[in-house]
Amino acid sequence: MINIVLVSHADLGDALIRAAEMIAGHAEGLYSVSLLPGESPEGFGAKLEEALQEIEGQETLVLIDLFGGTPYNVAARQVLKENVECVTGANLPMLLELVMARDDASLSELAEEITQVGQESVKNLGPMLRK
Amino acid sequence: MIAIEELGLVRIDDRLIHGQVIAVWCKQRPFSRIVILDDGVAADAFMQEVLSLAAPPNLKVDVFSIKDGIEALNADKLHWETTMVLLKTPLAAKQLYDGGLQYRALNIGGIGSRPGRKNIFKNIAASEEEIAILKYLMDEGVEITLLTVPGEKSKAFSALAGKL
Repeated sequence: MINIVLVSHADLGDALIRAAEMIAGHAEGLYSVSLLPGESPEGFGAKLEEALQEIEGQETLVLIDLFGGTPYNVAARQVLKENVECVTGANLPMLLELVMARDDASLSELAEEITQVGQESVKNLGPMLRK
Repeated sequence: MIAIEELGLVRIDDRLIHGQVIAVWCKQRPFSRIVILDDGVAADAFMQEVLSLAAPPNLKVDVFSIKDGIEALNADKLHWETTMVLLKTPLAAKQLYDGGLQYRALNIGGIGSRPGRKNIFKNIAASEEEIAILKYLMDEGVEITLLTVPGEKSKAFSALAGKL
């Protein structure tokens, strides 16, 4: 099973996991590492390494909340590891897709797939519904 | 003495390039270049790529060791007024100042907490040694402002220094 690690500002990762489990039921292999207000990038990096140690070497998708933010700056290096992919822009549709599709796709396919899902999940409802 | 007040911004922020810098500072002021002065990042090509990737295409990102950065900035004073210099620590700010780039204003945007540092204002923490460095720079006449992004509450370091 592919592990999913959410890397986010504040509680976003935990909240996304709770929201995904509310829809898809309890899922194994979900982790969340949060950057807290006032925390140094080094401290956050150490926390991330510690969390990843448990699943070192296993196939892992790191889902980062914000391209260009500190969690991205710190976590992007993980992509150099074998068996790790990183995708930014974490949202609920992406996490749901991950949880539901991870048994049927390779890690790199999954990374591509959720990048598409994330982009397609953003809709401006006004022009679609106000006719 | 160099007319360093022409530099757009000299900022201590241990997160370097991140949301606040790109989304707020660079939208409010016409920066054309970010110069990161940090010995660690200067020796880490991958990290340079990560930081540059997230910067908008119209913003040039350069990374130097502190020593090389002083030389590079002194050698090329074009566009200084739209240059943001980013440093990780008060020690780097002192090395820059003592190394010959005697800026008049210093912005502290973020220094994360870690063992040995205490919180001094909002998301800014400093050790005893770092506070001493900031006092040294203040006594040299550098105007130090603690401010994450324009529009947020700010504080002059001189107003805090007596209590630290």
